[in-house]
Order: sequence, then C-alpha cells, then structure tokens
Amino acid sequence: MSDRAASSIYDLGYARYTGARLGRQAILAELFRYSLRGIFGLGRGLGSKVAPMGLVVLAAVPAFAQLAIGALVPREVEVFRAEEYYGYIQVVIALFVAAAAPELYARDRRTGALALYLVRPLSREAYALTKLAALAAALLAATLGPQLVLFVGNALASNDTARYLSHEADTLPAVAASAVLIAVMSAALGAAIAVQSPRRAYTTVGIFAAFFLPWGVASAVVEAAGGGGAGYVLLGSPFHVIRGSTLWMFGAEPQPTSPLATADLYGGLYALAAVVFAAVGTYLVVRRYREVAV
Amino acid sequence: MALIETAGLTKRYPGVIALEDLTIAIEGGIVGLVGANGAGKSTLIKLLLGLVEPTHGTASVLGYDIIRERAELRRFVGYMPEHECLPPDVSATEFVTHMARLSGLPRSAARERTADVLRHVGLFEERYRPIGTYSTGMRQRAKLAQALVHDPQLLFLDEPTNGLDPEGREEMLDLIRRTGKEFGIAILMASHLLGEIERVCDSLVVLDAGRLVEAGPLHSFTSATGRLIVEFDGDRDAAAAALRARGLGVASDGSAAFLIEPADDLALDAIRDVAAELGLGLVRLEPARRQLEDLFRRSSEPSSEAVHV
Repeated sequence: MSDRAASSIYDLGYARYTGARLGRQAILAELFRYSLRGIFGLGRGLGSKVAPMGLVVLAAVPAFAQLAIGALVPREVEVFRAEEYYGYIQVVIALFVAAAAPELYARDRRTGALALYLVRPLSREAYALTKLAALAAALLAATLGPQLVLFVGNALASNDTARYLSHEADTLPAVAASAVLIAVMSAALGAAIAVQSPRRAYTTVGIFAAFFLPWGVASAVVEAAGGGGAGYVLLGSPFHVIRGSTLWMFGAEPQPTSPLATADLYGGLYALAAVVFAAVGTYLVVRRYREVAV
Repeated sequence: MALIETAGLTKRYPGVIALEDLTIAIEGGIVGLVGANGAGKSTLIKLLLGLVEPTHGTASVLGYDIIRERAELRRFVGYMPEHECLPPDVSATEFVTHMARLSGLPRSAARERTADVLRHVGLFEERYRPIGTYSTGMRQRAKLAQALVHDPQLLFLDEPTNGLDPEGREEMLDLIRRTGKEFGIAILMASHLLGEIERVCDSLVVLDAGRLVEAGPLHSFTSATGRLIVEFDGDRDAAAAALRARGLGVASDGSAAFLIEPADDLALDAIRDVAAELGLGLVRLEPARRQLEDLFRRSSEPSSEAVHV
C-alpha cells in the first residue's frame, strides 16, 4: 500500500456518522457475544477450536452412550443417571475452565487490546463481569447440554417413554438448577484465578490445582477421620461441592463408600458452598479489574 | 467551550510524579503534545480517557467531566495507544467491526463504517487478512482505524508514527492531517519528534518532567524574538566592536553569526553602515525566530537524547 495509487483510494473513505448510537445493553451484548465466540475459537484458527469443542463433546459422551443404549437395547437400562452425571464429567469441566478462562481474560492483556475496550463506553467492572457471564454460558454447553441429551436418552431407554417423561419431568428443574449452579461456580472459580496474571501457563496450572488439590486433600482427610467434624473440609473442595449440591438438588443419596457418605453433611450445605464459591470468585474478578493497569 | 480543560491535574505513582498540577485549556484543531519520553504525555492522555485516576485535580473533555461523565464522554473519543493493541489472529474487518459495536454502533452501521474507515486508512485490500500478517505500518493504520470507526469528535493519538520507516511516517502524518483538517475531528497527538509536530499541528502543549512548560498556538513558538541574525564576511571582531559602539546589543549565536538587539530600523541602518565603513560583505541578515528546540534547551539538559529533530 505504499504506492501512489493507494493515496487516491483514501479519498473514497471517510464520512461523518450521524446514525444511531446504542446504549449500554447493546454494548454489553456485543462483548458477551464476541467473548462466547472466542471461547469456542469461532472466527479464529482451527487450533483454537480443538480444545473447547473437543471437551464439550467429551462431556456429552456418556449421555450419547445412554442415548445409543436406549435406542439399541430393548430392555430398560439406565446406565448413567442425571444426579451421578457430574461425577463422570467433573474432570472435563475442570479442563474446560482451565483451558478457556485464562485465554478469555489474558488475551486482551497480552495483545494490549484491553486499553481499547476500556476506552469504550463500558466500565472495568462491566467488562470483567460480561466475560465471566460468557464463560458461565459456555460451560452450560458442557453441563446442561449433556444432561438434556441424557434425559432424552433415558426416556428412550425406558419401556414406556411417555410414562417416563411424565414421571421424570419433575427432575427437570433440578437438572437446570444444578447445571446453572455448577456452570456459574466453576466459571467464577476459574475466572478468579485467570485474572491474576496475563501468563496463561501459570493460571491454567492454578485452576487445575484449585479443582484437584482440595479434592485429593479433602477426600484423604475425610477417609482418615472417618466422619465427624472433619467432614466439613469437603465444603472447600470444588469437586465435592459440585457432587454434593447435585445430589441434594435431585434428592439423592451419595454412594455408601464415598467421602460424601462418610462426611454425612446436610446436602444444602454443598449448595450453599457453591454459591459462596461463585460469589467470592466474582468479587475477586471485579476487584482485580478495578486495578489492572493498561 | 474548550476542547480540553484541566485544573490542577496531578498523577503521582509511588516515588514518581507523572504529572504535576497541570492547568490548561486547549481549543480545537490538531494539538501537539510534546515532551521527552517520561515527560507525562501518555499519562495525560490516559487521565483524560479515564484509563487512570488522577491523584487530584479535575478535567473535562468535550465539556464532559472525565470522572463523573466518563461513560458518555467515551462515545465521542477515539484512542490510538502507543503500544501494540491488536489481536494477531483476527482480521482487521472483524476486529474493527467489533470495536465499532462496542462503541454503540448497530451491526450494519458498524460493518459499513469499518469498510469506509479501512479504506480511509488504506487497508481496504488487506482487510480480511489476519492482523498478525500485517507490517508495522499496516498495524498502525489498523490502530488508527479502530480509533476512528465510531466517528469520534476527538482523537487521542499516542506516538502514532512509532516504528514507521520514513515513508510510512509521511503517510501516517498525511492521514492525520487529512483526518483533522478535512473532517474536522479534533486531535491531541503526543510525539517526541518536533519535526512531526511542526508539520501537522496547529497548537502545542509542551511538557517536561510532568510539568507544563508552555502551551499555545504553533506560531507563538516560532515567532520573532526581537533580535536580528547577521553574518559578515571578513573581520568579525571589528564588526562587533563597531556595532557595540553604535549602542546595539551584540551576542554570538554560537556559529559565525551575531544576534543583534533590538531589531528595529536603526539597527538595520547601523548594520548597513558598519558593513560599508569596514568594507565587509553581508552574508546573512534576517529576524531571529524562536525554534521549537529552544523549549528543550531551556527546560531540559542539552544532552537530552530523547529530543530528535
């Protein structure tokens, strides 16, 4: 573009704009849409799509297995139940958060684009929270999505599909509520760590650690203590909180030998812990973005 | 209403005064913000954009208070940062459209304006290529495009020619001048290159070590100084003595010429007479003008390497 012909092209370009300027809602909707696309690598290279889409597919594998069994096996077989589902895919959820959250936040700091966002008509808090909402929405694809597939799969596997639907329809609120709670909690936990550094390598490892370390430690503590007051450590372990709150919402009991059964806490405490995780994580994200230098 | 008004605007970082007690009123046009690196140029721009909070003092831009009316103000300003700010893996079209929509433009308007603005900056052919494949010059143009896409009333440009080769520099300056003059967009342009500022700007704000040195229209920086520059061919000492004898102030300007005071008709007559009496050739005779560089000779050390001209 350094030739002279180029300069004559400029003349066609600029004009003043007198059209509409939309408000805050439209601006946040655009940021949400763009962030959500970014999480799944849409509009970017193939490499950016592999991890998020692969993990969403992986999260749905048990559900599709149930769907296949329902379609092929004539007898009533319920291999994967909704209240147990997050037990199968909790590792996938953690992987998804560890892959998506650091990139979601670090990207704009690494490229320097954060300055361009922050001079647009949106506050630092709104920027950080909209990104968090996009992450939670993306996680719904890995939580609510498979649950819905599973619901259909179990209905098909049942001998009397119509009866199953009318019978199990009352679990749908629990399906939706647990999916949303787990998505929001996991997103907030991941984001709270992701915003601490623009270096993805650190924050990805940090998110892994936040899910897996307490899991191992809490399980070991409860096993060693064999119940009693030590059971409350499970409330500090994201995986146990996910599991405990899901079981509580479905009104189900934990498997007899699991740490949850040993600890024997009131199930609502896990749901409360999930809300606390979500609230504290969100607060940390906002607090960090109030002071991020650009 | 002034374009930019500040009152006692101050920004301190631990151990560093980035900007100290700045009180200025800037009118429209293309305004140059000059100073060595670290003089406070970027800090001032970031304060005015609300990217950093002032330690104390107040400011308004386009009549909006920079703190209380920040969200409203940001609809009408554009910012081209000094640093890299573009994601490498998306196209200029995608990114600039996104930026337009973040400024509140509806989808179709954002697309149209993106195409127009990319044409304006000379990136129309390359608009679908990932930004990572762009040259430095093209990236600078894309940075300008995102600052312009929502049709701001005021553009903040922080070292817009950074990293450009001489030709790219010319083209960028031309683009800035056209954007300011032909479309009436006010521009505050920070630069440490006096040559650039002189060519593009109507007025100047000069900062040094966080303090205001001087502000005013460009011509006031290059106005006559009330002295004459005169250079004789021949016995310089005799000429100087003869001029002093006629009651004129004579000083060396550091080269072969003298600075004569005052610059009136009597002085001109005296110079003519001295040349005739001593039989000297008159090599040069003109009013001495202030140079932009004088600002820095006065305000900073002569060794200041940051002032390239």
